[in-house]
Amino acid sequence: MESAPSLPISISYVSGRYLLFSIDVVTYLRREHNICGVLIGTLPQIPQQNVFLGLPLELMPEEARLLVDKGVACIVDEVKAHDGMRSLLEEDRRAYLRDLETQGQLAARILADRKEQQRVQSLKEIDEKRAKGLAAKAAKAAQAAAEIQATETCRSSTEAEESASLFAPVDEKTSTSRTTGTTTPAPLAVMAVTPTTSYPPLPEPAAAEHRLPRPDVPLSYPLFAHLHSLGYFLSPGLRFGCQYVAYPGDPLRFHSHFIVVSAEWDEDIDLMNIVNGGRLGTGVKKGFLLGGPQKRRDEVESEADRVGTVRTFSIEWAGM
Amino acid sequence: MSQLNPSALTRLIESQSASDDPQAATTIQILHNLQHQHLWTSLQTHDIVTTSDSTVENPQDTPRTLISGIPPHRVYTHPDEQLYMLEKSITEDDLQPERMFVIPTAQGQKWSLRRMAVAFDALASLENTVTEDAEVARGSADSGKVEKLDEYYEKKREAQVTKAWGTRRALLAMTNRDMGGDGTVVYYIVQEGEVKPRQN
Repeated sequence: MESAPSLPISISYVSGRYLLFSIDVVTYLRREHNICGVLIGTLPQIPQQNVFLGLPLELMPEEARLLVDKGVACIVDEVKAHDGMRSLLEEDRRAYLRDLETQGQLAARILADRKEQQRVQSLKEIDEKRAKGLAAKAAKAAQAAAEIQATETCRSSTEAEESASLFAPVDEKTSTSRTTGTTTPAPLAVMAVTPTTSYPPLPEPAAAEHRLPRPDVPLSYPLFAHLHSLGYFLSPGLRFGCQYVAYPGDPLRFHSHFIVVSAEWDEDIDLMNIVNGGRLGTGVKKGFLLGGPQKRRDEVESEADRVGTVRTFSIEWAGM
Repeated sequence: MSQLNPSALTRLIESQSASDDPQAATTIQILHNLQHQHLWTSLQTHDIVTTSDSTVENPQDTPRTLISGIPPHRVYTHPDEQLYMLEKSITEDDLQPERMFVIPTAQGQKWSLRRMAVAFDALASLENTVTEDAEVARGSADSGKVEKLDEYYEKKREAQVTKAWGTRRALLAMTNRDMGGDGTVVYYIVQEGEVKPRQN
């Protein structure tokens, strides 16, 4: 399922971080713009459970800047934008709550339909077993087996329903109707929906006065943009003691090729750092990529002018 | 008490180095190391013609010379080239030895991207001037092999243009002349641009 969010995407700027809260936006950026970011969402009560993290997605300032420069995104000051929540019209508020209720009803109906399907399926299976049992010689034994089967399917379907109805309010009537086997449909209870983003009810895209200028980026931005333009996926390099880790494709499909370090054109580099990087890279089956723009910031008008002047060198241990 | 004799290397450096160039000793030492430890042949030094770029702050640290020579074994094979060689069952021994360039440096020397670029730009102009002697006749090889090798060299020429088998490359040699001074020289392969690593 491919869904393209409406452009420009709003990147939420919250206390110095560039965050994304919508899964559609996250998958779109990864798919179309080679931007992965880092998932940082965890359980508020159990933050040590950090093997699998979820939304929000945090972007590096470089990633945010790149998206803004490409016209794909804009930066929104969320603190100011959420002030708009107070000035929300009473009518809009009610409409939004009604909308949430409709969503809840829809979810409840889908769940009920699924339950009904499972019930019909298990009844059909029982009938089939019974028919077979009559044809066989030992009808009684077969019937006993069918009954066991019936109870089993009943139990397994209950389990499946339990997992699905985790979010549904407890409803006595549906459970009794299931056990007695009557076909009268139980009245639907509305499921409570927790919205994950605040757009809506806040207007999307955010009002122009809440937008922020382009993010400030470190001196390594030109190298970042250069590698990104070549199709590399870049992720933060702390893991490998470098600035960026460059993957030739989606990190879920490829091993990374380079550990990347940026330097200014006339910045002194200790030769020992080249030895360090070369050894480290070779040790983890990667190349050590050293590069930077030939122009200083004060020589050009904008950072974008430096991107075209980037030169890079790939370094590997020679093994001799 | 007799005075300790200076090492053979020290004497070599003393006899050959012009006193006004601090980098000359490094170059001689690395050339010596290549010749005697790594058994390189046809070693040469090349002076880098300094361009009109006078904005360099520390002229004493910009690379002045490059070394080139022919290693007994290939120092670097690009992974795609290696794959091609495996598919066509060409071994390294079938191929002509290649001249490799070396950038001599010493630990403690100031280095920067500009200096690396100066060395590589010099390399670009040198590669055209340094030509190998007449092709080694491969008389003993059978005709099938010769054909295969011709295909390989053709492919290699194409790859040089498309950069499919790596880009312009050199060895960055570093010696620890000042610290410890045990004469260790380490070598790193430097290629211009983004060249995928050999193992991945």
